Amino acid sequence: MQTRQKYEIAVSGLMILMCFVFLWESWDLPPGTFEPLGSGPVPQATAAIIILCCLITINTARLEAKKSSVAEGTGEPLSIGFAVLMALATLVFVIILHLRIMAFAWMAALFLTVTIWGLENFKKKKFLPAVITGLIVGFAVEYLFTQVFVVDLPV
Amino acid sequence: MELAALGTAIGQIFTPYTFLMLFVGTSLGIVVGAIPGMTGAMLIALTLPITFYMDPFNAIILLISMYVGAISGGLITATLLRMPGTPAAVMTTFDGYPMARAGKPGRALGLGITASFVGGLVSWVALLTITKPLSIIATRFGPFEYFTLIMMAMVLIASVSEGSLVKGIAAGFFGMLISMPGVDPASGMPRLTFDYYLLNGGLKLLPVLIGVFAVSQIINDAMDMGRVTERISMTSKGILMSLKDLRLQAVNLIRSSVIGTGVGILPGIGASIGSVIAYTVAKNTSKTPEKFGTGSEEGIVASEAANNATVGGALIPLIAMGIPGSVIDAILIGALMIHSIQPGPTLFLTNADIVWGMVAACLLANILMYILMTSSVKYIAGLMYMPRSFVLPVVMVFCVIGSFALNNTMFDVWVMLGFGVIGFLLERAKYPLGPFVIGFVLAPLAEEKLRSGLMMTAGDPSPILTRPLPALFTLAAIALLVWPLYSDWRKKRRAANAAEPEG
Repeated sequence: MQTRQKYEIAVSGLMILMCFVFLWESWDLPPGTFEPLGSGPVPQATAAIIILCCLITINTARLEAKKSSVAEGTGEPLSIGFAVLMALATLVFVIILHLRIMAFAWMAALFLTVTIWGLENFKKKKFLPAVITGLIVGFAVEYLFTQVFVVDLPV
Repeated sequence: MELAALGTAIGQIFTPYTFLMLFVGTSLGIVVGAIPGMTGAMLIALTLPITFYMDPFNAIILLISMYVGAISGGLITATLLRMPGTPAAVMTTFDGYPMARAGKPGRALGLGITASFVGGLVSWVALLTITKPLSIIATRFGPFEYFTLIMMAMVLIASVSEGSLVKGIAAGFFGMLISMPGVDPASGMPRLTFDYYLLNGGLKLLPVLIGVFAVSQIINDAMDMGRVTERISMTSKGILMSLKDLRLQAVNLIRSSVIGTGVGILPGIGASIGSVIAYTVAKNTSKTPEKFGTGSEEGIVASEAANNATVGGALIPLIAMGIPGSVIDAILIGALMIHSIQPGPTLFLTNADIVWGMVAACLLANILMYILMTSSVKYIAGLMYMPRSFVLPVVMVFCVIGSFALNNTMFDVWVMLGFGVIGFLLERAKYPLGPFVIGFVLAPLAEEKLRSGLMMTAGDPSPILTRPLPALFTLAAIALLVWPLYSDWRKKRRAANAAEPEG
């Protein structure tokens, strides 16, 4: 089975799961009092259409996978590591922002330094440009959004 | 009357601050269009939080000029890197890149820039002349007309999106479902909130847009960091198209611009489809079709004229009916709503200055784009090689701060991250993002219209089939659904017949 088909089956499965969660939540919605339809039927019908489409997609992906004899990995290799680094660093950045345990400028500077340096494969000569970029952008963005746009960032 | 209003809007744009917005918007649009991996939708979604602090007129001028700039800027990377800066420039890569490699990058870019300019002008004429009459017709639409029009638009978007029709429909309806938590449009009671109080206000458009278009794109770009591109040295020689060239390409230019405008007017279909159709028509009618794909001037002209023409075309249904002509128009609808402006047929009555501002900005941004690109394309081209290792993290910081700035709450940042993951997964599974976002934007309107229509008829849905316009829209939607299935079945049957042994 090719990667695309695996993704198709997994993502369609997730969508079906989400639809069932919405269906479950919509079950107790009261019927309309002054209008004929009420709150529930529209989300329920929408979820039903998605489930049907996803089931068709899963079936098509399975049939294609059975037929397909093309070898996997013929395209350019993807840098999964970079994507994971970016995703993890962003998650940590947002958690720290949520907990408000550090000023935004320093937090952004740290995030930018780590991610820029990481995306440059942690080459020694790229460390200093990463730090400088991080500090300039971090403090400039904090100034712009707190002083000009009056956003309530942790400072 | 219209020309006087347009003149007033143009005069307003020429005040220093507003002109600065036009200049910044067009320049940033071109720059972002020229950076591989960054798209116009991403730029406009990230700029939305900044527009909270601007008056609606300036905000819309900034966003429209970004739209025009970004569609045009994609031409640079398509020609010099064989990598479309925006999806709309895909067809330009087929001929722009071979011509640039053959030592004529200036000529290839010059053809593209002039074609973009002409395409923009033709669609602007359509925008100026068609929008108001269409909006007058649209004021006569009842709830069932609106509901069936939106349903037809959803099917249309799904049928022309990348991937299969079924996936397009699933993505569109998924976007619709995701927009439903919050206050019920008819009863005013919370629904689908999972007893979580922050969901009472529903999911806001901005974090969803930033997540789907920016965060998922950043993750995708980070996965693509290893890609090596060939560098073509840039010269500006041939950047200005001669009168002889214009005469030779006149028919192609006008035809492609008209195709682009027409495709733009169809709800939900963006610039990519417009340029594909114009390119195919240009190839089929060319005296030298064999040159297409090897550096054909006609190919570059057709693709670029059409993709820029979709900008003006797509603004027509947005202004006249409140239906987005493309994904970026769906974001523009969000921008208008943020400023408490309801797009739709009454926009000419309630916010005429905004409408004429949009029309004027479309023209002026197009002219400015031509001047900027012909005069400084050599320098803009240098931006293509900006290291993505620096660009992606900086954009991520703007994603976080942009979502936070909406309400000063972390909830929106988490929503943005969540939709970044959803957008990334949908793209990996080849579910198109366009229908998802347009479904998210249009669902509240569709539901409101359906339910108010049913209230008027005491629950009788028959007007959907008995009134002329709803019946027409419903039939069109059914035809759009059935036709791909039928043609697929016919293809399979032909293949099976061909495979059968003779006798």
